[in-house]
Amino acid sequence: MKRFLSIGVFAAALLTAISVIRAQDSATITVQKGAQLNLHVAGISGGDGARVTSVLSNDLKLSDAFSLGGKDTANFIVSGTFSGSQLQGKVVDRSGGTVLAKTYSGDARRAAHQFADDIVETTTGVPGIASTTIAFVATASGKKEIYTADYDGANLRQLTRDGVISVHPSLSRDGRQLLYTGYQSGYADIYRINLASGARNRVAKFPGTNSGGAFSPSGNEFAATLSKDGNPELYIIPAGGGSARRLTRTAGVDSSPSFSPDGGRIVYTSDTSGAPQLYIIPVGGGAGSRLSTQHGYCTEPNWSPDGKKIAFNIRGGSGFQIGIVSPNGSGNRVLSTGNAEDPVWGRDSRHILYASGSALYILDAQSGRQNKVVSGLGKISEPTWSR
Amino acid sequence: MNFSALSSISRFGCVAILSLTLGACANKNKTGGQYAGVDGDYVSGTPLPERQEGVSFVGSNVDKTQFQPIYFGYDSSDVSSSESGKLASVGQFLKSGRSTVIIAGFTDERGTEEYNRGLGERRAQAVRNWLISNGANGGSIQTVSFGEEMPAASGSDDSAYSQNRRAEIGVVK
Repeated sequence: MKRFLSIGVFAAALLTAISVIRAQDSATITVQKGAQLNLHVAGISGGDGARVTSVLSNDLKLSDAFSLGGKDTANFIVSGTFSGSQLQGKVVDRSGGTVLAKTYSGDARRAAHQFADDIVETTTGVPGIASTTIAFVATASGKKEIYTADYDGANLRQLTRDGVISVHPSLSRDGRQLLYTGYQSGYADIYRINLASGARNRVAKFPGTNSGGAFSPSGNEFAATLSKDGNPELYIIPAGGGSARRLTRTAGVDSSPSFSPDGGRIVYTSDTSGAPQLYIIPVGGGAGSRLSTQHGYCTEPNWSPDGKKIAFNIRGGSGFQIGIVSPNGSGNRVLSTGNAEDPVWGRDSRHILYASGSALYILDAQSGRQNKVVSGLGKISEPTWSR
Repeated sequence: MNFSALSSISRFGCVAILSLTLGACANKNKTGGQYAGVDGDYVSGTPLPERQEGVSFVGSNVDKTQFQPIYFGYDSSDVSSSESGKLASVGQFLKSGRSTVIIAGFTDERGTEEYNRGLGERRAQAVRNWLISNGANGGSIQTVSFGEEMPAASGSDDSAYSQNRRAEIGVVK
């Protein structure tokens, strides 16, 4: 009971400082790690209330932060009213004290996602993943094309109709811009799409291959693999295109860059030692240093938004597994999944989106729970997730 | 076969051995990992020429059948000595004059996709480097990688994999 009280007090303090916490991306958690809070969703009343309740309940389930159940055992009770494109959301604790009361405007689904994220952040101190966007490659049309969707698979949209090979989408942190590798010229070039306007520009078309674009946290530039100087190396390029600044100088393949959240470093794959391994290099220049993972084949690293973890692929006997390691090489572990390719972290640095055959899954790295979020589009690969 | 062709082939052979040896050295050096962040510390190769407008490996103005594909070992971009005969004929052709080629690198389906795009490009560049060190003009050789796309053989067995780990040579008509 004392713990619940401290959560309530803490939550109230959070409520007043919620925007500050967002900006700092910090998290002080008063609940025990892995503990699930009991939540009762009393339902959202009003015209489209049932739909909001359904989306909200699914968001709360996918957050893996709560055990959804009856009112009697609930630490928090969620209720609200939806009317005329406005959601008034409310969360109270056991003693009836208001923990969260906020109005959200916009369509039902979007409002529900934002309410869900506020519930997660208010009660756990960690940002939620509900109001995020994903993108991926699917073969439903017969060619590899880029698709976007909400993180739960809703609002599915085919973004490219190039009819060639369109691969490796990479969203900016705010989810407004997307880079991808496309072969319309017959070569691999990097394109940037403004998702709101649909405007598309070819931002890397150097001789040879241009691939693997990944935005910096500010979105002002991106890292990519270019081969123009005679070998696949990493470069930094302005977001709108322009001259490329070379980052790596190795005899092997350098690929799959992913920025640290402060933008100062990049983790990437290099096979300079013979087999692909992970390296970290300062963006300002210098040498890459190898990150020890104790696995023979490590590719497609992805740096978590809290900066503390790097997820990557390990190739084993029967397909791929997801490994996690901290940027200083400690905390090495392998997540137990089936075949899992191209892991990317969600905003909460807890969930991982990955592709497996014809589906995308969201995996809770803490509990191991998995949920299928997209399928039915042929082979699905190379997901990316806004933060 | 006349004398000059013979001598030229044996020259290719010698340089092939030399470049294989160099390749092995480069591999050893690779263990040391990275090079300091100063331009020129590691000269990774000869910069690619500008692309020819409207010309690409998949275009109709490129003949992909003139030369045999060059094959590679698993996760490797080393040019094997067994492939040097095929490369020698490409080298001869390039030395004959005005032609330009586009070398396309491919991988098998194992491995993750983006790493495979890099590996395919590295294979194309390894073939280009072989040709350059055997006298070809790097300015007439462009590269592209398709990674694991466009496999030569379908299927998920060793036979298919070995046919898909390749570099193809497209001659610009």
